[in-house]
Formats: sequence, C-alpha cells, structure tokens
Amino acid sequence: MPDTFTLRVITPESIAVDTAASSVRFPGLDGLMGVLPHHAPMVAALDAGALTWTEGGVEKEMFVSGGFAEVRGDTVRVVTEASEPASAIDVERARRAAERARERLRRRGRGGQGPGEKVEEIDLLRAQAALRRALQRLKVAEHKR
Amino acid sequence: MAGIKELRLRITSVGNIKQITRAMEMVATTKLRRFQDRATSSRPYAEEITALVGRLAAMLGEGVEDRPLFRAGKGEKTLALVVTSDRGLCGAYNSNLLKMIEAWRADLGRPVDYLVYGRKGFGYMNKRDFEIKSYLQEPPLEQIDYRSAALVGRILVEDFLSGEYRDVVLITTRFQSMVKYVPQIVPFLPIRGETLADGGGEAQSKSLEGGVILEPDAESIFERLLPRYLETRVFNALLEALASEYASRRFAMKNATDAATDMQNALRGVYNRKRQETITKELLDIVGGAEAIQ
Repeated sequence: MPDTFTLRVITPESIAVDTAASSVRFPGLDGLMGVLPHHAPMVAALDAGALTWTEGGVEKEMFVSGGFAEVRGDTVRVVTEASEPASAIDVERARRAAERARERLRRRGRGGQGPGEKVEEIDLLRAQAALRRALQRLKVAEHKR
Repeated sequence: MAGIKELRLRITSVGNIKQITRAMEMVATTKLRRFQDRATSSRPYAEEITALVGRLAAMLGEGVEDRPLFRAGKGEKTLALVVTSDRGLCGAYNSNLLKMIEAWRADLGRPVDYLVYGRKGFGYMNKRDFEIKSYLQEPPLEQIDYRSAALVGRILVEDFLSGEYRDVVLITTRFQSMVKYVPQIVPFLPIRGETLADGGGEAQSKSLEGGVILEPDAESIFERLLPRYLETRVFNALLEALASEYASRRFAMKNATDAATDMQNALRGVYNRKRQETITKELLDIVGGAEAIQ
C-alpha cells in the first residue's frame, strides 16, 4: 500500500521540496513530531532542526531554520525561512556561527545582568537562537556522513 | 548650419550613445526578469504565511485586536520606509515617488521620520527638511535577500513597539505590469484586521473551525507568525520596487535608443543633402570652367 501524502517545503526564495512522502518528522517547539498519511489537520510551530521524510522507502533529511508546519487534507506544508539539504550545509560557516554565538553569550555572562536592559535581552535571545540554529545545522550535516 | 565634417562627427557620436543605451536596455531587461522571477517564487511563501495568519486571527477572534501590533502607537510621529533606486537613468521612477511623498506629508499634518533605501532618495531628502532616521545601504538593494529584508522589517517593528510612533508606512513602487508601476503608500503597522481577513480566504478559514490540532497552541503560533508575516511584506515590497525600477529603466533606455535612431536618421538626411549640394556645386564649377575654355 503505497500510502503517501504531498510534502511541500516552502521558503521565501523557492519551493524547496515538492514530493510524495509516506512519513515526515519535524522539530516541533516541544520536541520531535511525526506525521503519517491521514493525519488530522494540524498547525505547528517549528524550531530549528532536522526535517526528515521518507520518499519511496528512502529516508531524506534537511535542515530547516524554524517556521511552521501545516497538515491539511493530504498535504503537509512546511513553511520555513531557510532550508538546506544536508549536502548543502556549509559546515565551516555553521561552526564559525556557533563560535560567534558562544562568544557573545560568554561576554554577556561575564558582564552580568544589566538592570532592565531590553536591548541586551533581545541580543541574548538572538545569540541563543543563533547558537541553536548553528548546532542543529551541524547535526544535520553530520548525520549525512 | 554645421559643416559636413561636424555633421559626420555628430552622427557617429549619436550612434555611440545609442549603442550604450541599447546595452543598458538589455541589461535592465535581464535584471527585470530576474527580480520578477524572484518575486514570483516568493509568492507561495507569502501566500502561505498570510493564509495562516488570517486563519489563526479568525480563530483567536476578538482578542487579536488588543495586541500591541494591532493598536496605533502612543507616539505622535509616523515612521516611513522609503525605497528608491541607487542609480539614475531610470526615467521618472524616483521623481514620481518623491513627488508623491511631498504631497503626502504636506497634508499629513504629523511629523514623519524616514528610513531611506536607495542613494537617489537619500540625496534628494537629505538636502531638504526631511527627518532621516537612517539611510540603509547594507546590503545594497540589488543584493537583497529574505534575511536582510527581514532585518529591515524587524527594525520597523522594534521602532513601532518602542512607542515613539503612531504608525508605520511603506512608501514603495508597486509593480503591476511591465509598463505599469505606481508609487504607493501602504500602511504597515498597526496591522489592520481587515487585511488579514482578506488573505485568509473564506474556504480556508472554515476548514480551521473544527478540531485542528495546534502545536503548542494558537497563541504561541500566532505570536511567532506575526513577525514572519511582516517580514514577508517588507521582502515583497522591496522585490516589487526593484522590479519596478528595472522596468522603468528599461522603458527609459528604450525611449532613449528610439530617440537616438530618429536623430541619426534626421542628421543623416541633412548630411546627405549637404553632400549632394557640394557635389552639385563642384560639378557646376567644372562644367562652367569647361565652357569658359571653349
């Protein structure tokens, strides 16, 4: 029973994936979520991480930088700002990005908590998000090997 | 009347200019196509995000309108993002937009701060009494990608939320077709409920009514969705402005090339007539001389 649904990964630059998949897993905010055919309608917010799907018995993986997944009818749409197949990930760049983010967090840790500094708080959140994205990219890239 | 030699020189120089304008026309055509393609391929994303926002807003109901992003700010001022071109020779592209801004702010009756994209707009506004909050040049407009457009969007949102402004508008040129591009002032923030309802579409909002699983919950999804929605709008506005710029430049260069052709023809006519005249005169001289000898 080749029971499949349409999986579409949509980014601002292109439609990155448009295929028939028999299962998909994506990084929900509260952890990994899986969808099989005939799933109930759903809208989920995504974290940065690996999007994995099975296409004709073959497992495929790609990095998504957060976004949303929507299950409606027999279509799963993943709407994300950036997506990269594992092979296209620039490991060196991701590593540098991780290092930068770590450095920023470290400096911030030493500086102590500025009282009510909203800007700094945003910076902190951004650095954390950047670190998470970079680490997830690396993880996806390493899986491939 | 210019001499034959001068005429010949002018014909050549008009020809040279024509070559340049024709080359520029062709460059503008390819660039136009590129930005149009990008605008087209960004559309599914924009549509998907807009639809999601519309449907979630419908689900959340009345409470939506109480969010800070949906309410006019406390401030008195308006913040405007102005998109012009970095380079000239694009017809009335910039002047149309700037003329519209002048008219708009004249009857707005509120101070306006401007974020300016594009050297031409900055050059104009900087010399006059515009309050330029910042001049965006990194990355250059032509190399815009989603990420940097999102950054611009984030600046607008943060400034709006700081409470300094009452509202935020985008002043850009909308691309309607290859020959139609109109400067427009579009309200950006606060988000208006109606605009969301449009994007959602009726059939789709219905499908969300009955038991859709929301992970983690409508509130947090909506919270994450709104910034994406706003970023997409900025990205689209920038791409459309770029497409308009090149459409306008292509048109201007085409006109210039045509005008050069006309001029060349006219000059060539004069030149030929002159040449003929000289030859006739010389012939008459010779004939006259020969007759005198006989």
